[in-house]
Amino acid sequence: MKDFKENFNLKDWKVHVLCLVIMVIAELIGTQKIGISGPGGGGISFSLLPMLFAIIIGIILGGAKKIKRETMETASPYIGISVMFLVVKLSCSIGPAWKSIVAAGPALILQEFGNLGTILLSMPLAVLVFRMGRASIGAAFSISREPSIAIVAEKYGLDGPEGSGVMGAYVTGTVLGTVFYGILASIFVGAKLFHPYSLAMAAGMGSASMLTAALAPLVDAYPDMAEEIQAFASTSNTLTNADGLYMSLLIGLPMTEWLYRKFSKNHPQKGIKPVEAAEDIVVEKEDI
Amino acid sequence: MTENKESMGKLWASRIKVLLISGVLASIANMIYEWRTHAATIHMPWEVFPALLYMFIIVVVSCLIHDLVAKLLPVKVPVILYVALITTILSFPFAGWFAETMKTEFAKIGLLPLCTPILAYAGISAGKDLDTFKEQGVAIVCTALVAFIGTYIGSAIIAEIVLRLSHVI
Repeated sequence: MKDFKENFNLKDWKVHVLCLVIMVIAELIGTQKIGISGPGGGGISFSLLPMLFAIIIGIILGGAKKIKRETMETASPYIGISVMFLVVKLSCSIGPAWKSIVAAGPALILQEFGNLGTILLSMPLAVLVFRMGRASIGAAFSISREPSIAIVAEKYGLDGPEGSGVMGAYVTGTVLGTVFYGILASIFVGAKLFHPYSLAMAAGMGSASMLTAALAPLVDAYPDMAEEIQAFASTSNTLTNADGLYMSLLIGLPMTEWLYRKFSKNHPQKGIKPVEAAEDIVVEKEDI
Repeated sequence: MTENKESMGKLWASRIKVLLISGVLASIANMIYEWRTHAATIHMPWEVFPALLYMFIIVVVSCLIHDLVAKLLPVKVPVILYVALITTILSFPFAGWFAETMKTEFAKIGLLPLCTPILAYAGISAGKDLDTFKEQGVAIVCTALVAFIGTYIGSAIIAEIVLRLSHVI
């Protein structure tokens, strides 16, 4: 209780005021459609939602050294706490949609194995093209969020090449992941290759902020289906939260190791140079 | 990587504080969002207070259960799993009043504006990894991004096939 009273104060008011200012600016900018026309009249278009402007403004301010490192570190655990409101909002759509969820049950369960798709795409790239050595294993076996770091730390230690791999991919995800997923999902929504339900399930891939970014363009494009979309994404995300760690540990990692042995046999590996600054990274356990 | 050891008191202080503040932030974002998108009704921040209060209670109860389970059993489950499960149970028609109230109250606060403060915090904190990120080679950044594409497309393909085979879509 003493600890609680000592820490329950507004000494960190700057973080919250900054958050308010960024949020208001982002909401006022609103949704912006961006189109890149390709050769032959084709091209891709996507929308940037206010939430992406919020993260972009933060990163730009950080890059310009306008935010103190202390402020950045204070804000980090707040992501995991503030995201819980969103989880409530998403999950409350499951009950009313339970009939659709049961009907889509097999799809929801089987698409969890889609998370292994990371390995099939990124392992060949890491081993055959970049010749990253065992760092490939750390970077390619998952989307490198907090549970993956825990797995690598336990199996290989974070000092080795596998550790460099997972930490490198982790910081990439922190800095680029949300915006990347926001744009990727927006492109897929626009391309109409997949049914919105499938994209909703795909959005629930483990990290809360990435889920948010991948889900938003879908809800934005199909407001009439919003309830079902939320229900599917939320169920998929809950499943991933429950099975993700075991899926990675029992299937993902052995599969990655096996592929590494296959690929690296005839392709000499260069490895990557370890990054010293990785020791400074603080990983929040709450933001799983 | 440095281990973040926090006492329970400190953890709860930031939980309660950030929940209260981000609730207020979300209600403001919601108002701006509705105003900007010319929504039929624009909810003032205090009008979504009941929704945020119910959310707050669910989250706090989930955190309590999480902490209790973590203390008693050797299982590691993220808090948001409890939040999701408890909310899901309450949202079923058999939960009666809860389900009804949640449905009407939560509808007043949009999903998208609810996300904006979260990602504003994420943007503020992302800067701390920026220097480490700049030191990463092209190889690792590309591998990570391709891994992101992989899980999204992998899940979408399987979902699409199974949904079609089972005639849901």
